[in-house]
Amino acid sequence: MTVNAAKGTYDFPYSHTVGFMANQGRGFNNPIDLAIAPTGELYVLNRAGPEVGIRLPYKRVTICTAEEEYLGEFSTGGTSDGQLWWPSAIALDLEGLVYIPDEALNHVQVFTPEGEFRRKWGVAGNGPGELNRPSYLAFDAEDNLLISDSLNHRVQKFSRDGEFLDMWGRAGSGDGELNMPWGLALDRDGNVYVADWRNDRVQKFDAGGGFTAKWGGPGSRLFNRPAAVAVDEEGLLYVADWGNERVQVLNPEGEVLGIIRGDSVDSRWAADYFAANPEEGAARYAADLTPEIDPAGERDREESANVEKLLWGPTAVKIDGEGRIFIVDSCRHRLQVYRKERNE
Amino acid sequence: MVAETRPAPSREELSLMAHLLRRAGFGATRRELDGYCARGYEATVEELLHPEDAAPIDEDVVRRYHVDQNSLMLIESSQAYWIYRIINTNAPLEEKIALFWHGLFATAYGKLNHAKAVVNQTNTFRQHGLGNFRTLLLELSRDPAMIFWLDNKDNHNGAPNENYGRELLELFSMGIGNYSEDDVKNCARAFSGWTINNADYMSIRASRDSIWPHGRLDWQFRYLPEDHDDTEKTFLGETGRFNGEDIIDIIVRQPATAWFVASKLHQFFVADQPDEDQIQALADEFLRTEGDIRSVLRMLFLSDFFRDPKTRLAKVKSPTELVAGTARLAGSHRFPEWSIVNLAMDVNFMGQEILNPPTVEGWHTGREWIDTGNLVERVNAAALEIGDVNQPGVREVIRRLEEAGPALSPEGFVDGCLDALGQFETSEQSREGLVRYAGRMGELRFDRPDSLACTHQRVGEMLQLIAATREYQLA
Repeated sequence: MTVNAAKGTYDFPYSHTVGFMANQGRGFNNPIDLAIAPTGELYVLNRAGPEVGIRLPYKRVTICTAEEEYLGEFSTGGTSDGQLWWPSAIALDLEGLVYIPDEALNHVQVFTPEGEFRRKWGVAGNGPGELNRPSYLAFDAEDNLLISDSLNHRVQKFSRDGEFLDMWGRAGSGDGELNMPWGLALDRDGNVYVADWRNDRVQKFDAGGGFTAKWGGPGSRLFNRPAAVAVDEEGLLYVADWGNERVQVLNPEGEVLGIIRGDSVDSRWAADYFAANPEEGAARYAADLTPEIDPAGERDREESANVEKLLWGPTAVKIDGEGRIFIVDSCRHRLQVYRKERNE
Repeated sequence: MVAETRPAPSREELSLMAHLLRRAGFGATRRELDGYCARGYEATVEELLHPEDAAPIDEDVVRRYHVDQNSLMLIESSQAYWIYRIINTNAPLEEKIALFWHGLFATAYGKLNHAKAVVNQTNTFRQHGLGNFRTLLLELSRDPAMIFWLDNKDNHNGAPNENYGRELLELFSMGIGNYSEDDVKNCARAFSGWTINNADYMSIRASRDSIWPHGRLDWQFRYLPEDHDDTEKTFLGETGRFNGEDIIDIIVRQPATAWFVASKLHQFFVADQPDEDQIQALADEFLRTEGDIRSVLRMLFLSDFFRDPKTRLAKVKSPTELVAGTARLAGSHRFPEWSIVNLAMDVNFMGQEILNPPTVEGWHTGREWIDTGNLVERVNAAALEIGDVNQPGVREVIRRLEEAGPALSPEGFVDGCLDALGQFETSEQSREGLVRYAGRMGELRFDRPDSLACTHQRVGEMLQLIAATREYQLA
């Protein structure tokens, strides 16, 4: 279900779905973030949970393509080197090395593109260079890492080896202040966009951390706990409006160009499953998967729990080299993929 | 203007308030007890009876850090979510009444393979658990988890399934001996056509424990008039073309229902052993108010029998009460942390798998909570939580002890800890044991900076010993 709020400019049609619920192997389990390699491979980070022994193998990185070619997986749940406990984000440096911060262990781990553990850095605390629930990371043009240090309410900048370089932000709701920041993104000019989660807004900073703009804010109702933001070549913002179970597309002036609520149909992997389980498939195809509901609780969340095609817990948005929009649909264990089409 | 100063609450006031909060909630810290006492007993009862006035917990941070508790697909995630709610709620009776109805209308994940469906049912208990019993039974009869649990999706016009109709009468409202076999059959017929959406597909998914392709799908209630037996029925002496709502109307009017509900509330909130006069008083209030649970509980909490000192520490804490209550005292888990699931697992190991009761009869409570195996588990789990001197609740105990003086005698040390934990009814035998242990290392001193860590550790150990006393296991 996509709404184009400013018709005549862009359409954002649904393309397809990648993924399938799987505790191990081909599929995802509560994916929380995604990195796209220049060569097209998708690195999907599965947060999974809870942290009990039998469930720990669900935590992993799945590697596949946008066309659902399964390429493998690496890592597992645990606290040893190369293992994941509360992995929160995934990003690739210019060499293709894979970086994963961990919100429970307060460190960043580095893997080769094939998933071999290389090194880790980071220490818990609130001093410069210390971390308290690092929720997200993104590379700038110099291959330095920006990290949203969520419970320290700030953004920190590190070299790839973990050398502390800079930081900005402090707890609060004023311009430039942050409240449990989550997602980060950079545009081609080096500006930094922060999903200022508990302030219900997105803030824009220049490369030095100076505040330059904001969209939404406490009480504005534009966003409800935005988890992530992506910026495309034209400067359009794609905001994972997590608390409203949708993605909103805005132009830099803050005009809403599109609202994506979710349109998923069965992925290829899902179709394979039903081909192998025809009785369940037949019952599914006879069922009404868009039922009318009368939610007792929060409408959007309960609607997402009932209607499978809708986004439920969108935690990240990424744009690939072809301009396709990948939405990490965390509670539905899949990626919903959209395109941007400009109307003439 | 001189500020009005309220005298410190008496020991009896504190003891009574601690009793109320153990039974109507999951215990209270000493600071909370002071606050409740300042407001007064009757006002506190009223506050507890109106959870809608309390600030809700911050669900957003739970869902952010526990992605699995957003989707609630797995049973451990869902149990951890409830334990976190209980620890952090500002409306303890809302959670306690949900736990009560969950034990009475016991619906288990084990058959449903759908944890969120059971969580949704507990939300119904939060919403309607203190309201009118008719509304509660109606919502229960429409609850998809219950429809699935007791097979009402298989209850068709002309081919009745009596499972729900039977348990509605036997276990949920009246009790055996108050209705006939024909009443069961006709009750079931009245609920024919009360089913869930996509029953065939959802049945296949449940039977295969299918989480594919994209996790669980919530269930929705559906009434199918074409599948409802609309013919005449006779139920408990009344005749008509009854539907489910009519059956519930008749049930709620029965004195047997009033007695049944009153006796269950009495057993849960007052005493393991029934007292006919006390139950009758509650049943009369049920009938007078046409099934208003809030009114019945108001009478219960304000009654002399509830306030009687003999009622205090007369029940064994359920595992949920013990574990969540200890975390509330320790001040732990006040923000989402991965280790909340360990508390849920502790509760499971002690024999109370919340959201997954053993049968439709719920748990065997009272003394059956304790055997030689799980007593060790109970003591160890409580001691681990309350002995952590880094937890804010334990720091508060240390602060109170330090305020009492730079050096505390063994007696002063023990009494200070018992007071700070709200343990006002500890027996002389238990106290003597604690004092003997405290005396081994002499006075507890706060005036020697180089040994403060040792002092704090001694406090932690004393709190662990208190958690091991008989009285700490009781509510």
